[in-house]
Amino acid sequence: MANPKEARDSAGPAPAGAATAAPPPPADTVSCTIDGVPVTVPKGTRIIEAAEIAGVGISHYCYHPGLSAPAMCRQCLVEVQGMPKLQPACVTTVADGQVVLTESDRSRAARESNLEFYLLNHPLDCPICDKAGECKLQDFTHAEGRSHGRSVEPKRVLNQDDFGGAVLYEGDRCILCTRCVRFMREVAGNDALCVVQRGHRSVIDTFFEQGLEGDLWASNIVDICPVGALLSKDFLHKARVWDLDKEPSICPNCSQGCNITIETRDNLVARLRPRANSDVNSYWMCDVGRYGYDWFNRGNVPTGTLGNADTIGGGPNPTGRVEQPMVRDRTGRLRAASWQEAVRALVERLTALRGRGGVALVSPMFANEDAGLAARLLEVLGGGERLYRSEMAAEEVVCPGFPRLARRRELAANGRGLSAMGFRRVGDDSGAGALDALDVTGKLLLVLGDDLADSGESFGAGAGLFVYLGAFPGAAERNADFILPVTYFSEQEGTFTNLEGRVQRFWPALEPPPLARPAWQVLGVVLAGLEDAPAPASAASAFLRLGQLHDAFGGLSYDQLGARGALLNDPVRLAADSRR
Amino acid sequence: MRRPEGTTSYLRATLHGMALTFRHLVRPHKVTLQYPEERPQLAPRWRGTHRMAVHADGRPKCVACGLCPTICPSNCIRLVPGEDDQGNRYPVVFEIDEFRCVFCGMCQEVCPVEAIHMGQDYENAEYTRERFIYDLDRLMAQDHPVTALWDPDDPASQ
Repeated sequence: MANPKEARDSAGPAPAGAATAAPPPPADTVSCTIDGVPVTVPKGTRIIEAAEIAGVGISHYCYHPGLSAPAMCRQCLVEVQGMPKLQPACVTTVADGQVVLTESDRSRAARESNLEFYLLNHPLDCPICDKAGECKLQDFTHAEGRSHGRSVEPKRVLNQDDFGGAVLYEGDRCILCTRCVRFMREVAGNDALCVVQRGHRSVIDTFFEQGLEGDLWASNIVDICPVGALLSKDFLHKARVWDLDKEPSICPNCSQGCNITIETRDNLVARLRPRANSDVNSYWMCDVGRYGYDWFNRGNVPTGTLGNADTIGGGPNPTGRVEQPMVRDRTGRLRAASWQEAVRALVERLTALRGRGGVALVSPMFANEDAGLAARLLEVLGGGERLYRSEMAAEEVVCPGFPRLARRRELAANGRGLSAMGFRRVGDDSGAGALDALDVTGKLLLVLGDDLADSGESFGAGAGLFVYLGAFPGAAERNADFILPVTYFSEQEGTFTNLEGRVQRFWPALEPPPLARPAWQVLGVVLAGLEDAPAPASAASAFLRLGQLHDAFGGLSYDQLGARGALLNDPVRLAADSRR
Repeated sequence: MRRPEGTTSYLRATLHGMALTFRHLVRPHKVTLQYPEERPQLAPRWRGTHRMAVHADGRPKCVACGLCPTICPSNCIRLVPGEDDQGNRYPVVFEIDEFRCVFCGMCQEVCPVEAIHMGQDYENAEYTRERFIYDLDRLMAQDHPVTALWDPDDPASQ
């Protein structure tokens, strides 16, 4: 089955297979055979990882690539020829010439009886469990388990436990894989969970009254829980997982640039989940980013769909999103116009301003492509100040178990990208201020996305031309000559540059209002009227244009970025990266 | 086609047909029911508008699992799950658009708690289209007999 997302993931100049096939294996590798597939891996690789490379799936619960492996779920037992007992694939390292059989009668029987044991006390309340559809116990039992359990004993019944923070615990469903315990200890660095009691009375618990409240990383345990034992209070009963549309994206809530998946239902964001990227966020993301999605939904009021704004996406949406281009006419009133009219009028006014320069104030929540073309527009008019305002947190919170990941001080997704294009940060740490000091008299004032919430009554009144591109008119309604509806990052294709300088792609997850257009498209069309350059037809060509305009982006293209991203100014490293 | 000329007559066939006609005149085979005084006998698996089963305390049996809107081939069920004051999952909104419904009965078949049923009811006329979107209260208020998923005399449908 052709999956476009898989195709994106593998996008790159050299396919992974080509690189591994060509050179002879160095001395520190071992070769083994897994289910008849020969595979060569570095020494010390565990069977479960080697099997992944060989394309053989081994079912497992306690093993997680980002955590230590205690080999306690016994689900990954496989037969290794020459060994008398079955071996746990998650801790047994591969040896040279080893022959591993995951589909032998013994391995299969071990898995089947293991699953039967797991279901002794499992309530099988899949219809009301939020995990149903992405539950490993459900999947593996469906694939290899017995069709009927033989236990006649009553099941263990426990009550729901509130772990504090955003997490609920359903003890009945728990299979004691201890992924959550190990995550809190090894990654979050906060030993807040443990297994209490013994034998079939074992449950996961917090220490007395001290729960997960206040832990910045705690909600990751909901993702890694293989069953529905740990539930997110935010996602509770919100949607069935098979109803969700999933689109890869980048978390915009700080400049770390965590790779995420935006999961939507009826054009409203239901939840965000981290996407693995070992260069940025490993398998994790922080809770501030995870639950900071309400603003993606602004203005998207579902009409005539199955959705319900009160329960999905959290709260009713404020209305007042710009629905169509607005142009100020001679009488000083804002009047709705078609895109054609608006762009034509705008090009006319801009041509008259040529050589006078101006000021561009760009929101760092907008993509590199958008900001790059805004900078170009300013350049064509004779240059001027490029500014952005962004919020700063008081301090950086580093993830103890993966120090490359942190909740960064810079809270805007694309501050680094804007700096690379010559934008200067102004204003204070709450993302306000500096507006009154702007001198725009007789010049162009181009505002992209900034909500201007703290602007004065006369902000922009003296400008030669005040163009506002954004989703909400807000304060711009008072004095702007043009208000052009543009899409959010979540509604368009584009790239963000994170604090480290890594350019990463995101894809449209939500449907924008019918007449809203990506800012790069609007600016591209306007630029085509001012200089001899064709308007970019796609985000990919807008990005290539960026490379021509700014050296930092030179040599990069969407194909090279792939799903993992690439560093600015670093085409050499890029080539090595894409082969990994 | 070649017909045997001169050896057959239309007379015999005509008499045969007239005999049948007169037989029906004196001993009629009735197909018309004197509705509404007379009612048809419905098959056990005959499927009409839905009915929601109710607990003894008046709550709907539905646990809002979402399987019926998932299986529904005509996408006529709208469900918004929520949590009641006892922490149970229940449908905040449960609506069936009976105009879109194709009465296939898959919702009844898929329901894990035997909450939604097809019913043996065919008197559904309304004055407005909106009234054909049955909400949860209306589905719970329906009191006609429910459809059997299979014929008890013929469980394998043979």
